[in-house]
Amino acid sequence: MARSYLFIPANEPRMLQNAYVFEADAIILDLEDSVAIEEKHEARFLAREFLRHHPRGSAKTYVRINTESDWLKQDLSMLEHVPIDGIVLPKLTLKMWNTYKKHAESIGVDTDIIGIVETPDAFFELDALGDKTPIKGLILGGEDLVSALKTTRSIEGRELLYPRSMVKMACARHGILAIDTPWTTLDETNLKTDIKHARTHGFDGKCAIHPNQVPLINEALSPSKESIDFARRVVEKHETTKSMRFSLDGQMIDKPVLARAKETLAKASRYGLLKEGLNENS
Amino acid sequence: MKIHDSLDALLDALPLKDGLSISFHHHLRDGDRVINLVLNALKERNIKGMHLYASSIFPSYTAIKDLVISGHISDITTNYMNGPVAEYISENGLPGTLTMQSHGGRARAFEEGENKVDIAFIAAPASTKDGDVTGARGKNAFGSIGYAVSDALYANTKVVITDTIEKTLKPQIEGSHIDHLLKIDSIGDIARMASGTLKITKDPVGLKIARETIRFLDAVNAIKNGVSFQSGAGSVSLSITRMFNEYLKSKKLKGSFYSGGITGLHVNALKEGLVNDLYDVQCFDRAAAMSLLENPHHHFMSASDYANPHNPNRIIKDLDIVILGATEIDLDFNVNVTTDSYNTLIGGSGGHSDTAEDAKLSIIVSPLLRARTVLIKDRVNTITTKGTHVDVLVTERGIAVNPKRKDLINTLKNTTLNVMKIEELRQLAYNLTGTPAHKDHKLTPIGIVENRDGSRQDTLYKKE
Repeated sequence: MARSYLFIPANEPRMLQNAYVFEADAIILDLEDSVAIEEKHEARFLAREFLRHHPRGSAKTYVRINTESDWLKQDLSMLEHVPIDGIVLPKLTLKMWNTYKKHAESIGVDTDIIGIVETPDAFFELDALGDKTPIKGLILGGEDLVSALKTTRSIEGRELLYPRSMVKMACARHGILAIDTPWTTLDETNLKTDIKHARTHGFDGKCAIHPNQVPLINEALSPSKESIDFARRVVEKHETTKSMRFSLDGQMIDKPVLARAKETLAKASRYGLLKEGLNENS
Repeated sequence: MKIHDSLDALLDALPLKDGLSISFHHHLRDGDRVINLVLNALKERNIKGMHLYASSIFPSYTAIKDLVISGHISDITTNYMNGPVAEYISENGLPGTLTMQSHGGRARAFEEGENKVDIAFIAAPASTKDGDVTGARGKNAFGSIGYAVSDALYANTKVVITDTIEKTLKPQIEGSHIDHLLKIDSIGDIARMASGTLKITKDPVGLKIARETIRFLDAVNAIKNGVSFQSGAGSVSLSITRMFNEYLKSKKLKGSFYSGGITGLHVNALKEGLVNDLYDVQCFDRAAAMSLLENPHHHFMSASDYANPHNPNRIIKDLDIVILGATEIDLDFNVNVTTDSYNTLIGGSGGHSDTAEDAKLSIIVSPLLRARTVLIKDRVNTITTKGTHVDVLVTERGIAVNPKRKDLINTLKNTTLNVMKIEELRQLAYNLTGTPAHKDHKLTPIGIVENRDGSRQDTLYKKE
């Protein structure tokens, strides 16, 4: 599970060199939209060399591939025998999945898949995608989707209210990761608002298209110091009393609250917020 | 005191001679007009073999190069230089010697008679007819005139050149020290004072370094009520200042003072009550210059009061934290901000070595990699600041603590910060770049780097 998924254009050596510096929980080397057509070949070469030789950081490492048939095959051929945590498959639909599967099997690529849902078709297949494919998570592709809907992104996010709900619902039903669309401008205030939308819907993570977005995403999608303190006390009291139902600070604690407290502590532990001596959220 | 109505009349009245030593300050930074004006006039009068004591040399000070080439300037003593003059001297040396001092070292050398200056030319944004001078008023108000105080006190002849005459003003330098006054149309272009380095970085690597620095300070509990702090004007340093302010605010803490070069960020901290006082030797922008004029807790200080190592009341002896940059650092934590790896002069100590020595916690911040060049060397090309005065290196890929600071190393054992030995940090960089081949240097000396106490610290060599 990751809070931040940072896109790194695979044709930019300086970005590749620093890919693990920016504290993203996951990086996505991009061969698709951020790479011009004439640079696809160089991007594949650079990505392969990076994946083979660059010392791995602690971040999960994914590659976003192209979906056009020839490029898809070339991208998958490049990924043969290189260590990655998974592929990000754009424009995911059942049809796209089948195309991908055919090429991946013939080339021999077998890795985790996170799909981007960004077309109206995908939203009528969300449940089926969860049922019939082994995908590990869904990324909401907000920019392409609003274009298809003939609208634009807004800071209020009303145009994505329904898509966000649908993606989260499908991911929750199938137990896979829900990852929110990136905010595409660099103003911090609006980014913070957009991250709140993701948090409100219960997304596990959010994409970033610039390294400077990562700290804000990580902070906003981490448990707060207060919630960690509360969760710690809930679990401690449960372990002391062995009770599944008790009161704490005037609040009734029962099974769902206890489960959320344990999840909060698990997240805090995963993100290094529990270690002794660390000033949490500093 | 004599008032002159033209530069020619002024020069007629001055004791000009071959081998003359002259001084200038750099408060107008790249917007200074006075140094070129005076030097060109001295060249016209064919004064040869001069020794130039310029507190710093910026790219626009092109007359220096012309006078070096023509033989009118033979020796230069300065604290910092970059641009065409620096490039020329790097490639050709001087007929005499180049001496690089620190800001505190320069003040000390004036007071102790080592910097022997015949005539100090002081560009002043405002002066009275009695020669009372301030940097904080006038159309080219640059704020503090702190670096010129030594010149005004200790040169044999002191000349004020101004573009604004006021009836009265609160002097930063008193007229009793001044011998000659000249009014000209303009001493410079104040808009260019803040050009160059004074931008908060948006570079994600720089911001990562800034965040790591604040995390480090938090982890070692260095930011407490009453903390004193100084950072430079580089883009990463400015980001750290901004984050330092935010930290104070979020923790409801209040600092005692910020010192050194002052910017709008420091001024904001004063206005917001995050710090009690600012001690200002140099304003880096107009916001700082305005604040110095208006805010009684924003104090003017001379270079001697700032950093003279033999001044027992120097401000930085009480400094808790200083943030400094590096072009190179070596395994003994020696820092170079004077030359690049090919001996090209690209800067100088300024207050680097002064503050590193005096502050309780000296932190070097720099990218570990610039393209494929690794920051950490076996031995720096030039020692600007001794490693014995450096406590910590913070990079985007890890933090190295000087082994002499066992207290910090022990404290950091219980944190999640990425702390490692400086050798390990270098190896981490080599894993990305490969190990650079050893290169034999051909060494032709062109000057020296002085310790702030006047002793010789290192030698400067001609560019390869």
